[in-house]
Amino acid sequence: MDPATTAAPLTNDCDTEVKTNKTGPRSFWSWWPSWRPTSMSLLKTTESRILACIQNDLWARFVTLQNHNRIWTLTVTNKGVRKPDEQAHKTPLVMVHGFGGGVGLWIRNLDALSHSRPVYAFDLLGFGRSSRPPFPSDAAKAEEQFVNSIEQWRQSVGLENMILLGHSLGGYLATSYAIQYPSRVSHLILVDPWGFPERPKPQIQEGQRSEVVKRPSPPRWVKAIAAIVSLFNPLAVIRAAGPWGPGLVNRFRPDFKRKFEDLFDDNTMTQYIYHCNAQTPSGEVGFRAMSESLGWAKRPMLQRVHLLPPSMPLTMLYGEQSWVDSSSGDKVVQIRSPAHTRVLLINAASHHVYADQPGEFNKVVENICKSVK
Amino acid sequence: MFPLDSPWNISFAGCGFLGIYHVGVASCLLEQAPFLVHNAKHVYGASAGALTATAVVTGVCLGETGASIIEVAKEARKRFLGPMHPSFNLVKIVRHVLHRTLPADCHQWANGRLGISLTRVTDGENVLVSQFNSKEEVVQACVCSAYIPVYCGIIPPTLHGVRYVDGGISDNLPQYELKNTITVSPFSGESDICPRDTSTNIHELRFTNTSIQFTLTNLYRVSRALFPPDPMVMKAMCKQGYKDALHFLKRNGLLNFNGPCRDQPLLANAEEEEEYEEEEDEDKGDKEEKSQEEQTAVMVHASPSVEEHIIYLPPALHEALVQACMERRSLAQSLGNLLPVRMASAMMIPYTLPLESAMSLTLRLLEWLPDVREDVGWMREQTLKILQHVMCQASRSFSQQVSARLFCQLELHRYQSLPSKFSSTNLFSTWVHGSSSSVQDVFMRLDQYKKQLLTGGLCINMDLNGSFRTGVMLPENSPPSLER
Repeated sequence: MDPATTAAPLTNDCDTEVKTNKTGPRSFWSWWPSWRPTSMSLLKTTESRILACIQNDLWARFVTLQNHNRIWTLTVTNKGVRKPDEQAHKTPLVMVHGFGGGVGLWIRNLDALSHSRPVYAFDLLGFGRSSRPPFPSDAAKAEEQFVNSIEQWRQSVGLENMILLGHSLGGYLATSYAIQYPSRVSHLILVDPWGFPERPKPQIQEGQRSEVVKRPSPPRWVKAIAAIVSLFNPLAVIRAAGPWGPGLVNRFRPDFKRKFEDLFDDNTMTQYIYHCNAQTPSGEVGFRAMSESLGWAKRPMLQRVHLLPPSMPLTMLYGEQSWVDSSSGDKVVQIRSPAHTRVLLINAASHHVYADQPGEFNKVVENICKSVK
Repeated sequence: MFPLDSPWNISFAGCGFLGIYHVGVASCLLEQAPFLVHNAKHVYGASAGALTATAVVTGVCLGETGASIIEVAKEARKRFLGPMHPSFNLVKIVRHVLHRTLPADCHQWANGRLGISLTRVTDGENVLVSQFNSKEEVVQACVCSAYIPVYCGIIPPTLHGVRYVDGGISDNLPQYELKNTITVSPFSGESDICPRDTSTNIHELRFTNTSIQFTLTNLYRVSRALFPPDPMVMKAMCKQGYKDALHFLKRNGLLNFNGPCRDQPLLANAEEEEEYEEEEDEDKGDKEEKSQEEQTAVMVHASPSVEEHIIYLPPALHEALVQACMERRSLAQSLGNLLPVRMASAMMIPYTLPLESAMSLTLRLLEWLPDVREDVGWMREQTLKILQHVMCQASRSFSQQVSARLFCQLELHRYQSLPSKFSSTNLFSTWVHGSSSSVQDVFMRLDQYKKQLLTGGLCINMDLNGSFRTGVMLPENSPPSLER
């Protein structure tokens, strides 16, 4: 008579119950509870709660690329249009989200923008619900991987050309894409794009007159902390915080909840942001490869923006209160021909222009789209 | 263009010693667009922002405010551990300065216009105080709003009999969500008036509503909020504030703009008269302030051009800051700055620090005497509450444990298992439920895992235990054991 063996099944039963309730079965680590309360299925349910707000026809699916990565894609088409081919020949609008975001963030824009043409929105490779492959640590190669994934996505979806809209990091990648595949982009719209300005050189003499006095260079220990921080992935804190992660997002980004509070009165948006970023880091690794010392681009776009074909229309939208400096937009106008480049400021909007002032944003984008066939 | 057709507010963020930035901003707004300040419906502030907000609303000379902030910072820097030194009593200094600078009728100015953000200790909720009945209340509200727990002390101060601490803990930028609030923050981010760092960092966080971008300079600023920098750096921050405010005015086309109320009267409505009344009041304040400025500054400027003031602060403020920054170089001080003397004093720290601490402690105790009864009562109340809570938790988990055990045993009893098995599971369940309920399933799994690996060893162990107990726990005896 072995007491342990008979005792075991009983505890085993409740153990499996706990397991299925909380973590779901895993291979070797199954006995250890998950540190981060997140999973792809949680992200899926949160996202579906957000996407339920869409009034028009929504088609959401994974698009498989040639290299077997899967890109989560939304297509929104106007319900009211009688003949589907009426919309079909119009150039579609493709929206690329920024760092740490996903398709859900466009919730206040998808309906309005799909009025006259189909709108595509996808999760960038390594973000949101798309595949999370490893990224190279070389800036150029990481950028290449992002841009390639966009091109392969375009091929798989079967778009001939598009109006490409990118926000923040998406703006950087959209510009890079437009440089490499100019024939596919009918109009490039950049919303508060990241990675345009070059890092100021410390040895420049002209700053010595006044700047030096006003802004003493940060002390050594600040630089040391920055050096340590840059060893980690940008959002490692959220993952390391484990069960406190969702609370952390709520505490430090309450603005996301506020921006969408007329749609959701609970924490849906912050949960979405959390689940998007608490998964295995991938796109983050790519972003880290492309940036240096807290956020400057290793390969700034201002140096390359002249490679865009001069005839490609480009519109840059900036939030008036955003920390992104709109002066780099003015520099782009100087570099390119002013005939095809426009810089617009949107009042009372922060970095997330599209969510802060959706009405104004949608109107501006709609007007730009009208200029394209 | 800032919408001036509806009432607007100004909100100053809490920021510790960086409050000097607010002084620069306020002086720029007062000088270049006075209507913006005087006609603002409310002026809000948290922590250090509350001090500037009070100064703005009550019409205290901003030069004096700036000078006092720098004086306090100098006081804090004098000692070895800076503001953490036991003999540095920030609350006392702030209270003293406020009593000295605020006019006796300041509560009349502040009533209904000044909003001070406070955090209630009992529930951590934010409270915006805007009703003041006396100067003492204004001062006390400012002290409460600037009271950072642990940094300033342990026992929070009271206002109207309620304990409050630093407003920055719950809401560092009051009413920022209103569209017509001009937000002022010394940390670069997405506030209306804030320094613009040349950085493209994508990460931004909100510390209780204050947008802070993750940049090197901001990191430096945050560290300087509680440990004040050199007076010259503080003066530069003030200048930066002036510059940023000017930039804001320019961007919104408010520069050299006299305000809608004076040039083009609003459409006739009920509020109009009220506004005029208010305006008159403010005009008085304006004149008072002007006269104060004239007293301190020799140069009187009629209509300053913009270019002139991009770099120069208003003369009154500039003068005051320069005065404050000046080190009074006495012989003792210059001696104290010599390297050997400094080294010696650093080496003496282990001996001098306890002495100084004891001295300042007795001083504080003496000062505390009038409030002792109230504070001790409050502390006893708090400890009682905590104890009650702990007891409540403990009894709950205990009852859970007991019921779980009962359940377990009943189950086994139903199975009519052998006595030896019975006792072993009994033992097992006490192991598992012995720990707190939150770690319970982790332990359960760990045990499970251990058992899978060490079945043999554990078996023997359990068997032994079981055989020890079999004598006592025969199936007939099990009902009494249930009630245990």
